[in-house]
Amino acid sequence: MLFSEGATGGALAFVPYSQSGSSSQRGCLLYPGNRGLDCLNFHRVELQHHKGSSSCVDVSSSDPFSFQLKGPIRQISSASLLNDCCVAVRSDHLCGVWRFSERNEPRLLQVVNTREVATCINVSPHVLGEVLVASESGAANLWTVGRGMQKIREEDSNLYFNAKSSWRWCEFSAHPRVMLYADRTGVELTDIRLSPVSNHTLFRISNTPECRSGERLILSRYLGDGHPFQHLITTQFSAYIMDERFPCVPMLKWDHMMQSPPMFCHAVRGSTSGSAVSGAKTTKVLLGSHNSQEITLLQYSGGRAEACSTHGPPQALLRPRDSLKHLPVQIPHRLDIATSRLSSPVAGLTCIQKRGGREAGGEECICILQLTEAGDIFYQILEPEQPEQPDTCRPPAADDDLLPQPTLKEATTLGREPAKPLQPHSEMVVSDTSSDEGVIGPTQGPTVQRFVAETPEREQRVLNSYSSSEDSDSGGKGQNLKQLGLQVIVNDDPELDQVCGLEVGVKDGKVGKGTADNTEEPSSLGHVGPSEWQTPVKLSDGALITWKRWLQKLMHKSRDNKPRPRCLQHFTVKTGGLLHLSEDERDEAQRYSTKAKPVQSLRRDLRACMSKRSLLVHSAVSASLGAPDVVMLPDLVDTEVWRDQISQRLTLSWQGEEAWRAWWEDQLGLNREEKVEALKRKRRREKEAKRATGRRLELSGSFTSSVSYQSELADFSDSTGWSSAASQGAWSDTESKVSQLEGSLECGTPRASTPSTMQTDTPAYTPTATPQSVKDKQGDQQTPSSSHTLALSQTPDSTLANQRSNKRPAEDYLSSLFAPQDEPSQLRSSQSVPQRSLRMDLSQDTAVWSGFSQSQSLSQSSQGRMGLSQASQPKKKKSRMGF
Amino acid sequence: MDDLQRELLEDLDDDSDSSDGNSSKGSKKSKLPLVNPMCAETPKETGFHQSTRVCLEQIREALLHHRWQEAAEYMACYPQMLEDPTNGTGQPYKELIWRISTEILHHHPNSKMEDYNNIYERMKHSGVRHYLMICLEHSFHLLLIGHIEDAKHQLSVAESWRHGKESAAQYQRIKLIHAYRSLLDYIIWCDKKFTRSNTEYPDSGDNQDMHNYFRQASVNLKEILKNPGVWDPFILSYVEMLEFYEDHEEALKVLNDYAYDSTFPPNPNAHVYLYQYLKRHDTSERKLMKVLKILHVLVPSHELMLEYSSLLLQSEKRSDIQKALGVVMEMLDFACWRSNLDVWERLKSIIQKLQLQEDWKDVVSGQMAARKDWWPALHFTSFHASKDSEENPELMKVKAPLTKILCPDLMLKYTASQVTSGE
Repeated sequence: MLFSEGATGGALAFVPYSQSGSSSQRGCLLYPGNRGLDCLNFHRVELQHHKGSSSCVDVSSSDPFSFQLKGPIRQISSASLLNDCCVAVRSDHLCGVWRFSERNEPRLLQVVNTREVATCINVSPHVLGEVLVASESGAANLWTVGRGMQKIREEDSNLYFNAKSSWRWCEFSAHPRVMLYADRTGVELTDIRLSPVSNHTLFRISNTPECRSGERLILSRYLGDGHPFQHLITTQFSAYIMDERFPCVPMLKWDHMMQSPPMFCHAVRGSTSGSAVSGAKTTKVLLGSHNSQEITLLQYSGGRAEACSTHGPPQALLRPRDSLKHLPVQIPHRLDIATSRLSSPVAGLTCIQKRGGREAGGEECICILQLTEAGDIFYQILEPEQPEQPDTCRPPAADDDLLPQPTLKEATTLGREPAKPLQPHSEMVVSDTSSDEGVIGPTQGPTVQRFVAETPEREQRVLNSYSSSEDSDSGGKGQNLKQLGLQVIVNDDPELDQVCGLEVGVKDGKVGKGTADNTEEPSSLGHVGPSEWQTPVKLSDGALITWKRWLQKLMHKSRDNKPRPRCLQHFTVKTGGLLHLSEDERDEAQRYSTKAKPVQSLRRDLRACMSKRSLLVHSAVSASLGAPDVVMLPDLVDTEVWRDQISQRLTLSWQGEEAWRAWWEDQLGLNREEKVEALKRKRRREKEAKRATGRRLELSGSFTSSVSYQSELADFSDSTGWSSAASQGAWSDTESKVSQLEGSLECGTPRASTPSTMQTDTPAYTPTATPQSVKDKQGDQQTPSSSHTLALSQTPDSTLANQRSNKRPAEDYLSSLFAPQDEPSQLRSSQSVPQRSLRMDLSQDTAVWSGFSQSQSLSQSSQGRMGLSQASQPKKKKSRMGF
Repeated sequence: MDDLQRELLEDLDDDSDSSDGNSSKGSKKSKLPLVNPMCAETPKETGFHQSTRVCLEQIREALLHHRWQEAAEYMACYPQMLEDPTNGTGQPYKELIWRISTEILHHHPNSKMEDYNNIYERMKHSGVRHYLMICLEHSFHLLLIGHIEDAKHQLSVAESWRHGKESAAQYQRIKLIHAYRSLLDYIIWCDKKFTRSNTEYPDSGDNQDMHNYFRQASVNLKEILKNPGVWDPFILSYVEMLEFYEDHEEALKVLNDYAYDSTFPPNPNAHVYLYQYLKRHDTSERKLMKVLKILHVLVPSHELMLEYSSLLLQSEKRSDIQKALGVVMEMLDFACWRSNLDVWERLKSIIQKLQLQEDWKDVVSGQMAARKDWWPALHFTSFHASKDSEENPELMKVKAPLTKILCPDLMLKYTASQVTSGE
């Protein structure tokens, strides 16, 4: 199990401002931006949560305040003390401290450079401006900003046994001068008031009950606020609550059941508001893992007057990658991109807590935010259930599509506290995407059209209803209905430092009427049918549109990232414009608007062909499509075009083993002597013949023969190839048919890629043949087939390849015959791009996606061809051998 | 074997590290053992293994998302695993089934007591290894639903259970079972005591009965409490019974052993119990202070430190006042006491008393020497001032004069701005 320990702690933080009203919680979200996660953003956000309406994180009120850093941000630690907030940021070798408050803009206080990789940074919750920094050297420093570093401890080995890990961690504790010093083997409390610091063990891996082999400490976190003496310690298997007053004895231990180690954690102190039922307020501990994106919610209470006790089993919350299940099926290519984007490892976890308190609309909820390494931020909202008001959690945009939610009612209670069953119910909610302004990056290149700027986001709600058996009276009792909204904020513009994915929340106007039923049922329904969990959740149209936009943008981006030759840009510009059009159409109507006739007729043709089980060939398509510039494929195959040796060899192999072997002998020069003999004989005959014809021709004849010795030999060896030209042609024909099939929309594009591969062969041929003949051949081959742009783009590459292959010693031959070469790949990319863009204009309405999938298949096919030409290259060298 | 594989993987890991060391991520990977090898796919697995593995994964998913019904349905199929001759008989799988089943039953809406009994009984008899643990858990469950007698019966059965040689783990569990059975005896004893106190004329039979429970419990507890560990609830119940029968000598001995036996883990509660016992029985202040002194070393932030400081303050010794100053100031180091009015007032009264001495400035500055660079930021910033004046003007009044005394040579914003603005 691997995980990158540098990210421990997480690079996402939320600093709450004083609560403004009952319906929202404002604060500052700190997150890294850019592709490299090297831009620190301070973004004012607002968690809007209304009773009975939607909840969202509104980031539209202002632009983020960003700082460009020199390295990727690994950890952000913040502490606020009485409205003033101190933020420490760790990247690998640099640590910086910022300070800001609700009214003041963030400003950088100090930056330090650590010689070793820093593994931990933590801001003091006691004294503003004190920061603990630990590094791989084993040293922990107390950094008083403005005054310098004070080394508090240094260990050159692990604390309790050799865990072969240089990871170190340090935290503050309840006493401002007693620090926690941790590594993979345990935690010690270090009292720095005494001059040789005194240490005593707080936690030790091997001393915990039922410690498993290989168990290691992953993270330690001072819970502070609310539990001033408690520390959360996680290992791969368990989470412990330790009390520093009672060292070495865990107050609580969970098996957190996560598959990868929990590296991020956020503890939410239970709010006292309302709930007489839950009595003791439960503290919620969120654990997040890195690769698997898991978030686990643990709840416990106690720790002061009463003993600690857990509340309910660990609960897994939604992961970003889970949302794909609830979305419409995509074609594999798109799905892959979306999946990989959605399942990029998590880089941070934080939580916005909104306290309730007041009666009207003051609802408490927590919003869990997850940052992925791709720079996206996802959130989900959990709120306590209020069973007597079942309709509170209706997400507004999804009126019609909600399924009734099932509920489990808890019959038995475990201990004092009611166990809380809950039902995930996922659903997409659209919030209107806002703000084009300022989001798009001007330098993103001509490809990006305006629609890209629309912020893609996606919300997914999961309603989890809790109902409790203990609820006696009305009013926000501690039972929880959870509402999870999972939302993507796409870090769409990594090149610039803008964070997009601004979102405008759904307004509550929509809410009032209708559908109280969706959550009504949970409170009344006692039992769930087994299959109900599997029922797919229906998504609203709006949600789908939002999702589509997000996906579209993602696709666009991922395509932009591909290398593309300069000269072809005008194609893509055109594509962008077309896509823009189609985007507008989609905005007003359904997902796949099938208005455009060519596509419709094409689909009809395709369907007809499928029913007839025939191939969708060029003629069928071109009739319906009627593209203006369709050029028929040449009827006759110019057999001379197929000179590459692999074709020759393949053709020959059809004639039986002897012909094939003869060809190999020919190629390997095994029969060279014979050939030389034959040549000599031939010349002798010619001489004799010339002698017989007369003196005048004699001179010139002998002159040419001496010069053209090589070329004749080449001709000779070629002739074996030409003999099989017919079957070769047949082969190439089928191939072009195949490519036609693959890109079913594209018919009769003039440059089937075969000529271009030939082209690459030709120059390679040059050295062996006489200059004149080469020129002729080149001319011949080019004219019928390839377009000009292609020829232009390819020439430099192929000549390069030639030079390289000329230098290659002959001994490489066998290995290079089988080993893949890299030169052709340049050709391939330059080739596939124009095809794709051409196809785009045909498939205007299916937009980017279709263009994408096809280009992929085509580029695959061209790859195959390149493979052939690769193999044929070395052979040419071979024919020169010995001369 | 396992280690070997791990080493191998580690090597591989190192290799990959060096290769992508200069990649953009450059983050260091760390390797740790897998969490759940039972779920892992094995290279040679039959269809049966595969389906049980998938089933287990589904159960896991359902459990983690609290979909109990779904989990229960999958769970109905999973015990087939036990019929597999190759590894189904393994103890890990039995434990797995036991734990998952009971977890589902705990949360499933339709679970009944019969289901519990069924599972517990079956799993108890599926193998000897978990017998005691399951018995213990079974009785816990019975306790939770209030069946104390049944629970005690379960424990008695487990007590008399013998199988083969006792392993170390088994020995531990037997001790636990003894302890919990004694605790149940105590609970029944409490019930009897309660009913006896309610009836006007207790008959001797009841008395005898109650005494029997005491004897049963005390015999076990006396033995068990000799084992190092954290026995807080057991100690308390034992001491309560001993006090009832006025065996003070034994009670004090038990508490002293619990607090001062060095083989036990350092347990602040032990000292607190001892202190409370001593206080109940009007022990001398000297002895109380002795206990609190040790508690102060263990937990300087304990709320009993207020009592300790007042005891120190009452004593006539000069050094005791200085000690009291140290105790209170150390309390104020901790976040939980920082804005506590009582502590600040105690500090004020200590300083007032201290000021009667001549060298009080030296004493104070001696205490402040270590705190000079962080106490101002901890207590006396203008932020604190505005907050205190808003939320706790009383505290403000106490704190403000103290700043000058504690930090005479510093210009602190605490006094300056808010005494005027706040009041």
